[in-house]
Amino acid sequence: MQVKRTLWFLPAVLLILAMALAACGGSATPAPTQAPAEQPTQAPEPTKAPEPTKAPEPTMVPAVEVSGTGQPELDKALAGDYAGTVVTMFGPFTGPDEVKFNESVAEFEKQTGIDIQYTGSKEFETTISVRVDAGDPPDIADFPQPGLLGNLAKAGKVIDVSTYMNMDWLHKNYKQAWLDMATMSGSSGDIMAGVWARFNGKSQVWYPKKAWDEAGYPIPKTWDEMMALTQQIADDGDTAWCIGIESGTATGWPATDWMEEIMLRTTSLDNYDKWTRGELPFTSPEVKHAAEVMTDIWFNPDYVFGGREGIVSTFFGDSPAPMFEDPPKCWMHKQGNFITSFFPEGLQAGVDYDFFYLPPIDPQYGKPYLVAGDIYAQFTDRPEVRAVMEYFTTGASLKTWLASGGALSPHNDASLDWYGDDVERKVAEMVQQADSVRFDGSDLMPSEVGAGSFWKGMTDYVAGTVDLDTALAEIDAAWPHK
Amino acid sequence: MSVKIGSTRRQRRTSSLLVNSVLILLVLIWSIPTFGLLVSSFRTKEDIQSSGWWKMLPHREWVQVEEFKTKDLDPNSVMTIEGVSGTFKEFRAGVESPDGTRVRWVGNKRRGRIQVEKRQWTMRDDFTLENYNEVLLGGSVNIKRADGTVKAVHGEDLSDAFLNSLAVSVPATIIPILIAAFAAYGFAWMKFPGRRALFILVIAMLVVPLQIALVPILRDYVKLDLNGTFLAVWLAHTGFGLALATYLLFNYISSLPRDILESAFIDGASHFTIFIRLILPLSVPALASFAIFQFLWVWNDYLVALIFIGEKKEVKVLTMRLADLVGSRGSDWHLLTAGAFVSMILPLAVFFGLQRYFVRGLLAGSVKG
Repeated sequence: MQVKRTLWFLPAVLLILAMALAACGGSATPAPTQAPAEQPTQAPEPTKAPEPTKAPEPTMVPAVEVSGTGQPELDKALAGDYAGTVVTMFGPFTGPDEVKFNESVAEFEKQTGIDIQYTGSKEFETTISVRVDAGDPPDIADFPQPGLLGNLAKAGKVIDVSTYMNMDWLHKNYKQAWLDMATMSGSSGDIMAGVWARFNGKSQVWYPKKAWDEAGYPIPKTWDEMMALTQQIADDGDTAWCIGIESGTATGWPATDWMEEIMLRTTSLDNYDKWTRGELPFTSPEVKHAAEVMTDIWFNPDYVFGGREGIVSTFFGDSPAPMFEDPPKCWMHKQGNFITSFFPEGLQAGVDYDFFYLPPIDPQYGKPYLVAGDIYAQFTDRPEVRAVMEYFTTGASLKTWLASGGALSPHNDASLDWYGDDVERKVAEMVQQADSVRFDGSDLMPSEVGAGSFWKGMTDYVAGTVDLDTALAEIDAAWPHK
Repeated sequence: MSVKIGSTRRQRRTSSLLVNSVLILLVLIWSIPTFGLLVSSFRTKEDIQSSGWWKMLPHREWVQVEEFKTKDLDPNSVMTIEGVSGTFKEFRAGVESPDGTRVRWVGNKRRGRIQVEKRQWTMRDDFTLENYNEVLLGGSVNIKRADGTVKAVHGEDLSDAFLNSLAVSVPATIIPILIAAFAAYGFAWMKFPGRRALFILVIAMLVVPLQIALVPILRDYVKLDLNGTFLAVWLAHTGFGLALATYLLFNYISSLPRDILESAFIDGASHFTIFIRLILPLSVPALASFAIFQFLWVWNDYLVALIFIGEKKEVKVLTMRLADLVGSRGSDWHLLTAGAFVSMILPLAVFFGLQRYFVRGLLAGSVKG
């Protein structure tokens, strides 16, 4: 009996401990129930000042260099009018990116006294819709796929930033293309659904510079030169390309990037835009031709490391690794600039690896650049949230991130000198000089296609379970009816 | 007679041998991947990518003994290297010589080298604790300040998430058991109208998948301002776990000998006294085994926590932190190996702590006596 009583006693103590733990957690940091910014219905001026979560840095931090934006709330914020307020942010970046984001807004937080509370989630795409539908949205959310934001904008959940921002400043600090891409159809007419905060370039072909130079391969300037080089490498006994499209539930997306690159290089921008809007079907000759150009490289076992099975079964992040073995097993890898974080540790940009621009195919379409990026959208309308959104329209909001690497700035006032990484500076420069810039088409398409049938169709085609015509028809079939 | 006994004994021995070997096979099938994961958790990302974990065990492999440049060789014709001859393609695959060595051309025609290899016993022993270090203490990120200084900023460590998981799991285990024990006693030993109908209703709840309740409950929580609190997830887990708990405990409690309870009644004990002094102590095995089930379920739960607690740092549970470990684009997948073992520690401790009740409890309700 005694033993049993103590046994019963144990869970009781545990329960009390755990509840105490929960209670303590609540008092040490702002508990969710009292976090003022969480309830959109609450008054804009919360009474409780948030505890600083980060210890202020004792080192000298230069003041935020933002001036002349003509943005009313931002100027007020910099004057300290909104000190003590909290702005919640929600986005998909976690780990190192989260640290870099927090560091990049630290100066702004210090100067204005606005506390930007960022939470990252691997399940951002699903969670944001649930939270918005349930009436519990964050103040600002970071969308890596404009298509998803488009759905929310159409439902009238997103605040039109053009209603309060200084449009002269926006036109001055963004290329028109970025502003166009931020304009989406709202519940009644077009709205500016957010501001572009970061982007990454996709039209890079990475190569192992050291081995490349030793082997004496040239940098191809045209598609034909690139195909000749591919054949040359095959003749030398290696496969030229490292390609992998496995990515869990998103398997197939690197293939869609290739399609978009080739589309931009083989047909007009007008056709590309029509294609992303669903007006040019996948079964059209333009799209089919792009797939065939891709097939010439992808389906040739002498050109691709691991062949077709290798493409489908290799994790996209692991696919460039054979490039850095000694000697390399494959020599070229087309991917966005974020791929460098997957490269083996200790490799130096410009020494061990470098990139060249994926060459044009048809000279009449010039040198287009494919990009993807993150747009920040606003869900609650309070002056301090406006101020933070206005801050994100300045290059200064990214300065620390650019220096630390891992982001490119879409802002005109971001200097190329700010980049800490030569490779990223080169990408940014190339995008600035590109004849045209287009956004990742699959991210623009509705998610049924852009994050569904397009991925799946390409994967099926590469795996060999369906032929090209069937695959393209299947992709078209998933397009939502208007 | 004696012959017959002997043959039954032999029969018994062969059948137990069969059973044992099947069991051993099953145990191996289950534990080998786990062991591989454990080995991988001590390896660097590059090692995991380039070779299997079993290379850590002693095995025979071609090991390079000599290497030289490919000068004076024409890869476009038949070559003779180290006494063996072949074409470029053959040398790329490796040409074996009669004395047991293998000559291999590594690399392409332009940047090749010749490797002479011998088959040897070998094992890799380059283990690292770096994965655990990064999981437990958070990886460090170099931040370059505008003034040119570089600062190493540490990511979050695991301790907050671990405590949060504990703060979720323990109440979410104990609350449903307590309520279910009361309910099971009521259904088993108290007579009231509609008892049967109520019980059937509770059992019917077993077949309702919790996923369909997520959005309605979330809406209510938002209205009640409960979303994102521990209370929200305690209540959710309590609700989801209650049906099974009631059913399991009912089966056990209803099978307790009637005589004990009747004598208690005759001595004037109330229902509450009987429950506290008799039922609870007697059903410890059933309670403990359900506690293991519920604890493991809540500890490993991702979905319910994701919906009702969310990702805020103050309340984020371990499973969500683990998912975040891989980074925005999944570049740190190798950390999951170490993360998995860290998150396994507590469930293992709970299991081994309560396991002597486990077998007894599993039989709860299934063998009525």
